[in-house]
Amino acid sequence: MSGASFVPVPLQQDDTVLLPERIADLTGLGGLGTAGELVAAFIAAFIVGNLMLAMTGVAGPWAKRKITAAFTDRIAVNRIGPFGLLIIVADAVRLLSKELIIPENVDRPAYDLAPIVVAGSAMLGFAVIPMGSGVHLADPEVGLAYVFAVSGIASIGLVMAGYSSSNKYSLIGGLRAVAQNIAYEIPLVVTGMSVVIFAGTLQLGEIVAVQAEPLISLGGFTIPQWYAFVNPFAFVLFMVANFAEIGRNPFDTPEAPTEIVAGYQTEYSSVYFVLIYLGEFLHIFLGGAIIATIFLGGPAGPGPAELGIVWFLVKIWAVFLLTQWLRSALPRVRIDQLIEIGWKGMLVLSFANLVLTALIVGMIAS
Amino acid sequence: MSTGLEPRRQVGTAVETTEEELAELIGDRALSRDDHKNAPGFVIRPDEVQDVLFDLRDEAGFDHLSCLTAQEYEDRYESIYHLKKYADPTQEVSIVVPTTSDEPTSQSAEPVFRTADWHEREAFDLVGIDYEGHPDPRRILLPETWQGHPLSLGYNQTKPQVVSLTEHANPIQPDQKDAESDTMFLNIGPHHPATHGVLHIKAALDGETVVDVEPDVGYLHRCEEQMCQQGTYRHQIMPYPDRWDYVSAGLLNEWAYARVAEDLADLEVPEYAQVIRTMGAELCRIASHMLALGTFALDVYGDFTAIFQYAMRDREVVQDILEDLTGQRLMFNYFRLGGVAWDLPEPREEFFEKTRDFLDELPAKLAEYDDLITGNEIFQIRCVNTGILEPEVAKQYGCTGPVARGSGIDFDLRRDDPYGYYENLEWDVVTEDGCDNYSRVLVRMQEVEQSAKIIEQCLDLLEDWPEDDREIQSNVPRTLKPEADTETYRAVEGAKGELGIYIRSDGTDKPGRFKIRSPCFHNLSALEEMSEGEYIPDLIASLGSLDIVLGEVDR
Repeated sequence: MSGASFVPVPLQQDDTVLLPERIADLTGLGGLGTAGELVAAFIAAFIVGNLMLAMTGVAGPWAKRKITAAFTDRIAVNRIGPFGLLIIVADAVRLLSKELIIPENVDRPAYDLAPIVVAGSAMLGFAVIPMGSGVHLADPEVGLAYVFAVSGIASIGLVMAGYSSSNKYSLIGGLRAVAQNIAYEIPLVVTGMSVVIFAGTLQLGEIVAVQAEPLISLGGFTIPQWYAFVNPFAFVLFMVANFAEIGRNPFDTPEAPTEIVAGYQTEYSSVYFVLIYLGEFLHIFLGGAIIATIFLGGPAGPGPAELGIVWFLVKIWAVFLLTQWLRSALPRVRIDQLIEIGWKGMLVLSFANLVLTALIVGMIAS
Repeated sequence: MSTGLEPRRQVGTAVETTEEELAELIGDRALSRDDHKNAPGFVIRPDEVQDVLFDLRDEAGFDHLSCLTAQEYEDRYESIYHLKKYADPTQEVSIVVPTTSDEPTSQSAEPVFRTADWHEREAFDLVGIDYEGHPDPRRILLPETWQGHPLSLGYNQTKPQVVSLTEHANPIQPDQKDAESDTMFLNIGPHHPATHGVLHIKAALDGETVVDVEPDVGYLHRCEEQMCQQGTYRHQIMPYPDRWDYVSAGLLNEWAYARVAEDLADLEVPEYAQVIRTMGAELCRIASHMLALGTFALDVYGDFTAIFQYAMRDREVVQDILEDLTGQRLMFNYFRLGGVAWDLPEPREEFFEKTRDFLDELPAKLAEYDDLITGNEIFQIRCVNTGILEPEVAKQYGCTGPVARGSGIDFDLRRDDPYGYYENLEWDVVTEDGCDNYSRVLVRMQEVEQSAKIIEQCLDLLEDWPEDDREIQSNVPRTLKPEADTETYRAVEGAKGELGIYIRSDGTDKPGRFKIRSPCFHNLSALEEMSEGEYIPDLIASLGSLDIVLGEVDR
């Protein structure tokens, strides 16, 4: 997280103030030279990291229960604390105090590292996301490429978990995860590139800024130039590829309870399980953050600019709600069907979208 | 009380085979006759089993090996093959194969009927008859290391079975991995999210493709047959059937025992009680099919999703009605020999209203299921053309119920071998020709509609029934002692298919032999045919579409 804040100053946009700089200014750490900037960057990373952890690790599982319960005609947690909110504390104590069972024949370093890789890779992605209200750690010129790259690291974690567990179900799950991520990462990135063609930059701060421009004005009501409105086709493609990338219904084949028990995480317990589970939630939220940033105008919304982070979180949660909705209502496709949809459908459509976007943008430019 | 409708049994679709023709067909091979109450019986030599069964199957059309009963007498062992015709199950014949006590070896019927495979394994396991030429002569319900055969006469029940851990076959040992093959052996179960109970499936995989499947049953074996043999006919046996198919099919199971015992002891059942029985049984069928639908969705969707909860919610209404009727939610124990335990709950109007409310809401709910499940494209690509069970294969494995009807076999004992009040009511047998997982789901959903139709007619009848004619039980002696050596096999259409019971009386007030023919046992044995060559998810879906209850498979 902190590493991303060390991009050279010229790469950053001139008019935006990033969180580390602001902290440096407010605390006077800026006067202490590089060491002070380093401390400020750490503090900023700490704030963003905890914000995301609180949202995904604490609010996420609780909300998931409540949302699923609403879909399935139940009430869910309501005993401890208001609306059962304190169940999170109870859960944390319960999960952390469980015995960590490590099977005899696991491949030790890989088995131990996998949960950290899965959870860590998603956390890295949040470093470059502009969340509004000044919460923005770093804004490198390669922002979008960086996000795709770090979130792709999770696949390595999954295959490590699957392969090192020395369990056949885990192995199948790990292999499925790799096959699926390869098949859907390409459409995901290619669709993301169509946005880059529109915006003319990979820098996420810039992409958000471009989206603030008005698309059309209808009687005093201005629709902003969000890429979800400019190119809804790319938006839908990206959403679908994203569901496969984060392994949610209808593409949750790597876990596939009822088929392969729990896939790559079958042999994980206690803290390791918590980390993998957290990583999954982080990936859902990171996916939501990317969608919000490149398609939904990032922190843009009515009201003063200080409300930016609220709108941003609302957009992330909307994506989360959608994943839970799909989970409650859609069956899972079979692994071969999933691969087929990926290579024969999504890939073709995403390239078609890219070429069309390039042509249209080129024509407008000329 | 008749609705004036003609019974709509399809007579004439099967060529009638008279007893004389049977006798002629079997000819000299019949050593003697041993007629059962339900069917003519022919005693044949143990080395001519295949010969006779082939003739009966190919020449006379007895294509359904309904059940195989094995038992030991003082002087001999006996295997009874209960044969029927799918086209007309009222045509039955029993082939009795006695073997000597010192060398109980009989020819295997497996080449004629695939379903004899599991049945003969069970007969060997519990009674101790060896079947010559059987492809896989192992125990099936009890562990491989079991000593003795529990239903044989000389078995010492008090002797503990001491088996050390090392003697147990290690299920992980036969790792089907050698230098040439690149298949992977996978244990699915006994603890696995998709096994619907305690079932162990040994699977060999080539990548994600299933190349070999072998269900390993018996984890839930509770000696139901023996327990029934230790209870008296009149009251002590009836609670057990509730515990075979324990997911809300209780009354259907009870009817199986009621039917066979009433047939054995020649008991009459008042018409009023038959209507109540019919209504209760169909309520159970709805509850059971709702659960089947919910768990199948669970297998395909992969989680306790909305569909599962909706199915449970709607099943709950049925459970409430059944609770009002019987006083119990699962283990009803409501049927009595010669009738039912008590009349409808008072005030009757309230019960009628509640049930009618349920029936009124049902079409909307089923439409919702159609939208959510069967109309969903992803569900369709998952279920259409997977888990193929061709009708001829289904018959070979003795499949019945929604599984057979999903393969286009028009076979329903409620119509073909009428009992209760079914033949006076207006309803249809649902069949689908898809032979796949999707067809089996469709059949169940449509059967819920048909059951609702039956219940509605029963309610009409019950509402108008004259008050002075509400006889719920006929006059049944306190102690039933059917004449010694009366034998009969009777079946009803349970939630999963043909649920039959064979009873031999021995002159006491307890059965001499009590054999249960479980539809799930047969249906599960066909899993192999359905899933080989398909993917793991299809194997799981096929297993779900069979709708097995391990309590009934293992008994």
